[in-house]
Amino acid sequence: MTSPQLEVPQLEVRDLRKSYDDGRIEALRGVSLKIDSGEYVAISGASGSGKSTLLHLLGGLDVATSGEVLYEGSKLGTTVNLDEYRANRVGFIFQAFYLLPTLSALENVQVPMLAISDDANSRASRAEALLLEMGMGHRLKQYPNELSAGERQRVAIARALANHPTILLADEPTGNLDSVNSARIMEILTGIQEKRGMTLIIVTHENDIANAAPRHIRIRDGRVEA
Amino acid sequence: MPSQLSFTGFACKNLWRRRLRTLLTLCGIGMAIGAFVALVGFSRSFEHEWGRLYSSSGTDIAVVDKNFMNTSVNQSLQEKLRAVPVVSMAEPMIFNIMDITPEVNALVFGWLDDSYEFSSLTFDSGGRFHNGKAEIILGQMLAKNLNKKVGDTVDLQGTTFTVTGIYAGGTALEAGAIILPIDQMQALTSQQGKVSGFHVRLKPAPAGESPEHYMKRAQAEIEAALPGLNAQAAADRASNNQFVGLAHSVAWGTSCIALLMGILGIANTMAMSVFERTREIGILRAIGWKSWRVMLLIQTEAVVLGFVGGFIGILFGWGALEVLSKLPQTASVVSVSLSWVHLVEALGISVLSGLIAGAYPAWRGAHLSPVEALRHD
Repeated sequence: MTSPQLEVPQLEVRDLRKSYDDGRIEALRGVSLKIDSGEYVAISGASGSGKSTLLHLLGGLDVATSGEVLYEGSKLGTTVNLDEYRANRVGFIFQAFYLLPTLSALENVQVPMLAISDDANSRASRAEALLLEMGMGHRLKQYPNELSAGERQRVAIARALANHPTILLADEPTGNLDSVNSARIMEILTGIQEKRGMTLIIVTHENDIANAAPRHIRIRDGRVEA
Repeated sequence: MPSQLSFTGFACKNLWRRRLRTLLTLCGIGMAIGAFVALVGFSRSFEHEWGRLYSSSGTDIAVVDKNFMNTSVNQSLQEKLRAVPVVSMAEPMIFNIMDITPEVNALVFGWLDDSYEFSSLTFDSGGRFHNGKAEIILGQMLAKNLNKKVGDTVDLQGTTFTVTGIYAGGTALEAGAIILPIDQMQALTSQQGKVSGFHVRLKPAPAGESPEHYMKRAQAEIEAALPGLNAQAAADRASNNQFVGLAHSVAWGTSCIALLMGILGIANTMAMSVFERTREIGILRAIGWKSWRVMLLIQTEAVVLGFVGGFIGILFGWGALEVLSKLPQTASVVSVSLSWVHLVEALGISVLSGLIAGAYPAWRGAHLSPVEALRHD
């Protein structure tokens, strides 16, 4: 017999709405969906369809106008503190990498750990291990402006994994990369998802990436397409 | 061991990234703290020198009118004062400030030629003046600035005085001063028979009576004998006289204005920095940094600016005092004596300035919506 607890999806979205500009722009118009732990989900849609807004709400970066996001059955922003959630449960990967320019690759990966760990030695060691895992062992001391786009994204992935998240959220992770680097990054992301059993949610407008995911959610005009 | 990133190191890297702006901000807060160190340091050393002026001559009590600057006390009260049982010696004195040349002004004291206060002076050359004669003695610092030696003359308010001695004073105030017969001083200021007050040496305290109690009793006895005059303990007189009070007021007033400018400089730097780094703050929030941690980062940067600016300010202030203590116009009243307490105080004020200046930018940065911050160009 299955325990009732295991039936709770890792992420659940109920009638989620998000509007801007005093309601004149509706980015999401009542999205509901469930994502189980360890799933690999692609969310696709045209530009302005609301897919990135949905990802931001799933990641606790933004708050909905109405509706709710549940993490393991608990509501984000009330039962689950958004700062704690972002620090410990999710890892973000962005299209523009968003590395901090004053810090080396190794230091960039340590930044999320400053939020939860006081042990400088363990922070540095873990950051180094993650970069080695990303094949960046030879570029630890390089600054973002000294790295190629593909290398920057690999550093960003290492940073997203820094605090042992259970969910990886990637917003157009290959949007700024050529086809070779895109393939390499997707290989790394799917490898991480399989190896660690993490939930991977990728927002993309590239059909081949979306279609490669076991589950594909299409967003159109702020709604999930049937 | 791979290189470690500390929270403070991260803050310093952010400041180092905009070196020119950081340097200019440091100069701004440095100038403000320098002004504080120099001005407040000067006013405190001025007070300290006043204290030494009394202690080096063995003066226990200053008997003055309510208004320190007035030369309005009758000199004839000296005998009445000497008759008070606790009084060992009582000397009349006049105190003033005069322009000696257009560039040099000096403290001028009027004494009797047999005043016990000569005991604090050591003559480098020559000797005492004589009552009733147009004679003066010069502190060695003033003599050097005026390029005068024994036998030379000095014009004061249209009267020519002969220099009879050059002395080394116990204090910087004395070393930069002129002392002349009290009757000559009265003639110069048209205040015949009037003095600024009396300096009093007390007899030793009777056995069994505490120094504090004896001082209070002596003050009461003198004030009872000379109604309308104040008998003030020398140490209190040094810190409460109008010159020291004025010096403190000017020093703190000017320092506060300078500090306000310094605070505005840091606040501007931090506000600009937060604006330029809006997206970076969004990144920090996205990767789990709480609002208070972002606030702490920005405040740490502001405090580092304040701390380093404080050190630079101490160097500026010390340099300014060094220069002022050597200029003829200011050498008689400025000495370079910076206490550790004053330097720690300067550093504390500088760090506090950083905290105040960084407060609003930090609050603003910490309360940015992560997603809005990430969208910022």
